[in-house]
Amino acid sequence: MKEIKIQQPTPKPGVCIEWEQKRKELPPIQGDEELFQRIWENNEALAYMYIWQVLLSF
Amino acid sequence: MAQDKEQLYQQRLKRYVTAMRNEKPDRIPIRPFVAEFTAKYAGYNCQQVAHDYTMAFEAAVQCAGDFDWDAVVANMVYVWTGLSQAIGLKYYATPGLEIPVDTGFQYREPPEKDAFMKSDEYDALAADPTGFLYNVWLPRASNEVVQIGSPSTYRNNLSFLKGGMAMLSYFMAFGPQIQRLRTECGTVSAIAGIFKAPFDILADKLRGYIGLTMDLFERPDKVLKACEALMPHLLHVALSGADPEKNVPIGFWMHRGCTPFINQQQFDNLYWPTLKPIIQEIWRNGHQVLFYAEGKWMRHLEAFLELPEGSIVFHCDQDDLFEVHKKIGHRFAISGGIPNFLLAYETPDKVRAFCKRIIDEVACDGGYIMDASAIMQNEISIENIKAMTEFTREYGVY
Repeated sequence: MKEIKIQQPTPKPGVCIEWEQKRKELPPIQGDEELFQRIWENNEALAYMYIWQVLLSF
Repeated sequence: MAQDKEQLYQQRLKRYVTAMRNEKPDRIPIRPFVAEFTAKYAGYNCQQVAHDYTMAFEAAVQCAGDFDWDAVVANMVYVWTGLSQAIGLKYYATPGLEIPVDTGFQYREPPEKDAFMKSDEYDALAADPTGFLYNVWLPRASNEVVQIGSPSTYRNNLSFLKGGMAMLSYFMAFGPQIQRLRTECGTVSAIAGIFKAPFDILADKLRGYIGLTMDLFERPDKVLKACEALMPHLLHVALSGADPEKNVPIGFWMHRGCTPFINQQQFDNLYWPTLKPIIQEIWRNGHQVLFYAEGKWMRHLEAFLELPEGSIVFHCDQDDLFEVHKKIGHRFAISGGIPNFLLAYETPDKVRAFCKRIIDEVACDGGYIMDASAIMQNEISIENIKAMTEFTREYGVY
């Protein structure tokens, strides 16, 4: 049997739009970038959950 | 009283988890997957429990409180049709609309020509599965969402707002529901999280079964690449909903991967190679997977034996439970196997006799959880469920 490894895709699982892409659209960050990234990805996780749960559960 | 329920909960949790680890608990755990049966018992119809999840929750709690069951699913009538209607999903028949009030909701796979994904779209799916779902799949699967490039509409915008908020409200309600089961009934929530195999998702919701079977012959490499692309996402979804305490398993609903839906070669070259690594990774993360093996999987049990010992619980539907136990019982716990027709249409004595045979031949060394073969809907006899429960409690003591 062929061995298949689980890929690490882009965008990564859990987000629809990666922080790295969003960051390019923002003005230079004066504050805490980690905080911006964390909140961005937390909200992305909701959008990601929405479509995958529609597909899998509903 | 609350302390008694907590004590009961802890006893049941230990019993259920011990059996799922393929060990011998104090007695055989009972974990019936009761869906529309709960409505029948609690005095609701199918429309009510499908379209108002608070009624479904109430029915589940009533059953858990009245029956001596170790674990139940917090809402086995899982599809809240209020949510599917808010999103505009085309593929459900809702009780009281397209089907009678007292028929359970139905999934209606579209005809091949109306499949939500076309045969030449495998590359697009594989390149960005999440983007494909939002941009291509959902506009086709929903009556409300418009195609990318078309003018947006009021109804399109409302679909996302209502769908998102409704989904969140539904998911957020599960925490209190699980807590109610624990504090009011002493009953364990049986599973946590959802998983489906890459191939099954292609068959169920994207290409449709008939379209996919054609693709398996006409473009098998594309099917394989799409399955590979789905793997990390399905793993992520499974782990994100898993039990943080690592007690109860992730539910895996198995649909189209067994013979004769596909042949052995397709299982060996496509279905299994894109499923096995996910199960292994889930196990590496400390979670069991409940293989809810709808249909007949006897031909594939050898493959499942490749998985780490104890990594799955095999739920037996149409297979011969006694043969399944002989083949894989030494490595994995087993659940189910009581034919639904027996629970629906036969006598309590026949139910007791079948349970006795299971207890004598399958459950004798532990590693077994009592349940029907398939999810129990409203044709199941209340009297027979009582017989199953009471007999297992009396006779199923180690």
